[in-house]
Amino acid sequence: MRAPATAGPHAGVPVAPVQLSQVSRRYGAGETQVQALAEVSVTFPAGSWTAVMGPSGSGKSTLLHCAAGLDRVSAGRVLLAGQDITHATDAELTRLRRRTVGFVFQNFNLIGSLSAEQNVALPLRLAGARPSRRDVQTALADVGLADRGRHRPRELSGGQQQRVAIARAMVTRPSVLFADEPTGALDTGSARTVLRLLRRMVDAAGQTVVMVTHDPVAAASADAVVFLSDGRIADHLLRPSAAQVAERLTRLEG
Amino acid sequence: MLRISASTVRDRWPLFAGALLTVTLGVALVQSSVLVLVSTGEPTIPPGASGRVAEQIREGYVGAATLLGMATPLAMFLAVFIVGSTFAFSVEQRREELALLRMLGGSRPQLIRLLLGEAFLLGLAGSALGILLGMPATWIQARLLIGIGLLPGDFSARWSNGMLLLSPAVGIGVAVLGVLSASYRAARVRPLDALRSAPRATRVMTLGRWLWGVSSLVLTVMLVVAGHGADLLGALLVAMAIPVFGSIALSALSPLAVPLVGRLLGTVLRTSALGELAQANLRDAVRRSASTAAPVIVLVGLLVGLTGALNSLARAASADLERSTAADLVVTSTGAAAARIPQIPGVALASPQSQVEMSVTAQHRVDHRSYRQTHHWGITAVDAAAYRRTHRLTLRSGSLDALHGRTVAIGPRLAAEGVRDGTVTARIGPHKLKLRIVARLPEVLENGSDNFLVPRDLMPTAMLADAPTETLVQLTPGTSPQAVADRIRAAGIGEVRTLGQWADARVETQQRGTMGIMAVLMGMSGLYAAIAVINAVVIAAAERRTEFAVARATGLSRSQVVRMAVVESAAVTLIGLLLGTLVAAAALASFYPGPGGVHVLSVPWTLLGLLIMASLAVTAVASALTALTATRPSPTALVAARE
Repeated sequence: MRAPATAGPHAGVPVAPVQLSQVSRRYGAGETQVQALAEVSVTFPAGSWTAVMGPSGSGKSTLLHCAAGLDRVSAGRVLLAGQDITHATDAELTRLRRRTVGFVFQNFNLIGSLSAEQNVALPLRLAGARPSRRDVQTALADVGLADRGRHRPRELSGGQQQRVAIARAMVTRPSVLFADEPTGALDTGSARTVLRLLRRMVDAAGQTVVMVTHDPVAAASADAVVFLSDGRIADHLLRPSAAQVAERLTRLEG
Repeated sequence: MLRISASTVRDRWPLFAGALLTVTLGVALVQSSVLVLVSTGEPTIPPGASGRVAEQIREGYVGAATLLGMATPLAMFLAVFIVGSTFAFSVEQRREELALLRMLGGSRPQLIRLLLGEAFLLGLAGSALGILLGMPATWIQARLLIGIGLLPGDFSARWSNGMLLLSPAVGIGVAVLGVLSASYRAARVRPLDALRSAPRATRVMTLGRWLWGVSSLVLTVMLVVAGHGADLLGALLVAMAIPVFGSIALSALSPLAVPLVGRLLGTVLRTSALGELAQANLRDAVRRSASTAAPVIVLVGLLVGLTGALNSLARAASADLERSTAADLVVTSTGAAAARIPQIPGVALASPQSQVEMSVTAQHRVDHRSYRQTHHWGITAVDAAAYRRTHRLTLRSGSLDALHGRTVAIGPRLAAEGVRDGTVTARIGPHKLKLRIVARLPEVLENGSDNFLVPRDLMPTAMLADAPTETLVQLTPGTSPQAVADRIRAAGIGEVRTLGQWADARVETQQRGTMGIMAVLMGMSGLYAAIAVINAVVIAAAERRTEFAVARATGLSRSQVVRMAVVESAAVTLIGLLLGTLVAAAALASFYPGPGGVHVLSVPWTLLGLLIMASLAVTAVASALTALTATRPSPTALVAARE
C-alpha cells in the first residue's frame, strides 16, 4: 500500500530526500517474532514537515530508524537523498550521518561534559572539519541561544537543551532532519518554542523534517501526518488541526 | 578526538579512578624493580672483602635479580588485566554516550581513537604519579630485599634518568594495551543504542568473547596436559603460565557460569523474597556480575596457584633431601664440638660436614665454551666413609672411597656445570695446591647443595675446629632419638634436630627470598583486585539508583535493598572464588602425586581461606556502602525522573 505523495509547499523539488518502498522489519525469530513494519511504502517530500503518529507499538519509531539508516530493513528498499542505503556499509552510513541527516531526540542527548558551543561544533569536528566560531555562534543564534554558548547542558533548561540539540543537528545543513518525540520531555511553553523553530526552518530554508510524536498539538504543526497501526500505514492527513489528529488517533486506538 | 577524551576523563573521573590507581601502582612497581635491578647489575663489593664474602654478595644480587625478573612481568599482567576489565566495564556504562557520537557522524576508527586517547591521558597521568610513588617504593623494595638477606645492608638503589622515559612508556603501554579490546567493543556500539527506546543488544557473550575465552581455555587445557608428564621444573613453569591463561579464559567465559552458579545458589537464596530478588538480578545483570567476578578470579588463580606451586616445589625438595639422607638426627655446631659426638652413648655413626673457608678454581666447559671459575662458597669437608653411609646417592662417576689426601669430589650443585676432568686448583690460607677429581655427585632438588666435597684430612685442624659443621647422626638400633638428642644437648655440643625438621628448615631458608617476593606480589595483586572490585561495584551502583528506587517503591525498606545488594555481590564473589579456585587447581594439577617422582602437592589452604574471607568482606562492604549512598534520595524522586 502506497501513501499518496504528501504535497508540501516545495512540491516541485525533483528528488525526495527520503523514500521507503515495501519496507518490512521483523525482530526476533520463531514464535517470538515481532513484525514491526509490514511492507510500508512512503515518501517524505523535500521541504516538507511530516509527522508520523500511531499508537504505542505501531512501528513509528522503527519507521524513523529504518528511514535514517539506523536500523536495517528485513525486506524492501530505502533511499536517502537519492542513495540506496538498504545494503550500505557502516562507513557509507557514517558519511550520510555526517552530511545528509540530523537527529533530534526526546531526551536531548547532549554530551554533558561539553559546553553548548562544543556540542554544536561536535558533528563538524567528527566530520573532520574545523568549524569557525562564527558558524557555531550563528547556529546557536538561530535557535535563540546566542548568549548560552559557554553553558554546560546541566546549566540549561529542558527547552534550552532541546534548542541546542536542534542547533547541533542543523549545523551540518542536513538534507533531512529526523526528530524522535522532540517535545516529549518539555513543558507546553518550551514545546511551543521548539515547534515554532522547526516551522521556521521548513518555511524559510526549505528544510525537510520527519518527526515521530505522540502529541496531536505537535503533529498539527506539521504539513502532513502519516498514521501507522500494526506496522502498516493506516491513514494520512494534510495540514490537519490538533482536534482532527486526536480524533483519528482515537479511532486507530479504539 | 583528544579534546573529547580529555573532557570525558575530567567529567567522569570516578569511572577512571580505579584504572588510574592501577596504572600508578604498576608504574611505581616497575620503576622500583628496574631501579633495584639496574643497581644489582653491578654489585658493589666493599674494598677488602674476602673472595668468600664477595661471592656471597654476588649470589645474593643474582637471586634478587631473578626474583624481581619473575615478579615484575606478573605484576604487569595484573595491571593490564585490571585496566582492561575496568575499561571494558566503563564502555558498557557509556554505551549511550558512545552511540550518540556514532549518531552524530563519528566513525568506528574515531571511537577507537577516542578510547585510546583516554587511555593515553590515563597512562600519562598514571606515569606522573607512578614516578613520584616509585621513589618511596624503590626504598621499600630495597629494604625488603635486604630484610630477606639477599642484598647487603648498605645497598641502595641509584636513581636513573632513564626512568623518565621508561616509566611513561610502561604506564602508557599498560593503559593502551588494557583499553585495546574495550576500544574495539566500543566501535561496535550501534548508533541506535543512543535512543533509550531502542531494543538493546543484550548479548554478553559476543563472538570476540567466545573466541578469546575458548582459545585461552584450550591453551590452558594443553598446558595442564603438558604439565602432567613434566618434571618438577616443567611443572613449575606450567604452574606459572596457567594462572595467566586460565584467568583470562574463565573471566571471558564467566557470563556462562554466572547463571549456572546462580541456579545452584538459588536453592539457598530462594528461601527468602530478598534472596530470590538477588538471584534474579544476578541472572539479569550478567555483565555486571562478570566485571565483579573477573578480578577475584585472577586474584585467587594467581596467588593460590603460584604459592601452591612454590610450596609444592619446596616440599618436594625437602622430601628429596630427607629421602637421600640416611640419618636420625642432625647436629649443628662447630667442628671442634662435632668431634665429641661419636663418644655420646647411642650414636652409631656421625658424619661431620664442615663448611670450610677455602677457594677452588675449576675449568668449566659448557657448549664448546671453556672458562675458569673460582668458587669460595659451598665447599664442604667430609669424612668419605661416613658421608657415603649417610647419603643415598648414586654417583655420576668415580668413587668416594678415593676421597683422601689431595682429592676433591664435584658436588651436586656443579653437576650440570661442565667441570672438566683432571685437577682443580685449591687455595687454603696461604697454600696453593692441586686436587685430583675422584668423584661426581648427582644433581639434587634443593638449591643450597654443595659445590665441592673435600676430605677432612686435607684441612688444617685449627680451621676444621672453627668451621660451622652439620653432623648427620645414625643411632644404634633400639635407642630413643629423644634420649640421644637430650644427651647431645646436655653435653653442650650444639643444636639438635630430627632429620625432618632439619630438611624442612634448610629448604625454608633457601626459599625465603622467593616467599618474600611472593608476599609483595600478593600484596600488590590483592590491592589491584580490591581496587577493581570496588570500582565495578561503585560504577554499577550509579546505574542502579533507579532500580533500587523501584524496588523501594514496590515496598522494600531501605535496609532490605541494601541487604539485597550485599547478598547479590556476595554471590558474585563466590562465583569468582569458585572459578579462581578452579584455575589454581589446574595450575597445581601437575604437582598432584603421580606414579613416578617425588611430586608432592602442597595446597595453601590458609591463604585460600584468607582470600575467601577478604574478598567477601571487601565486596560486601563496598556494595553495602554504595547501596546506602544510592538509596539516600527519596525513591519517588528517582522513579519519576527520566534522566
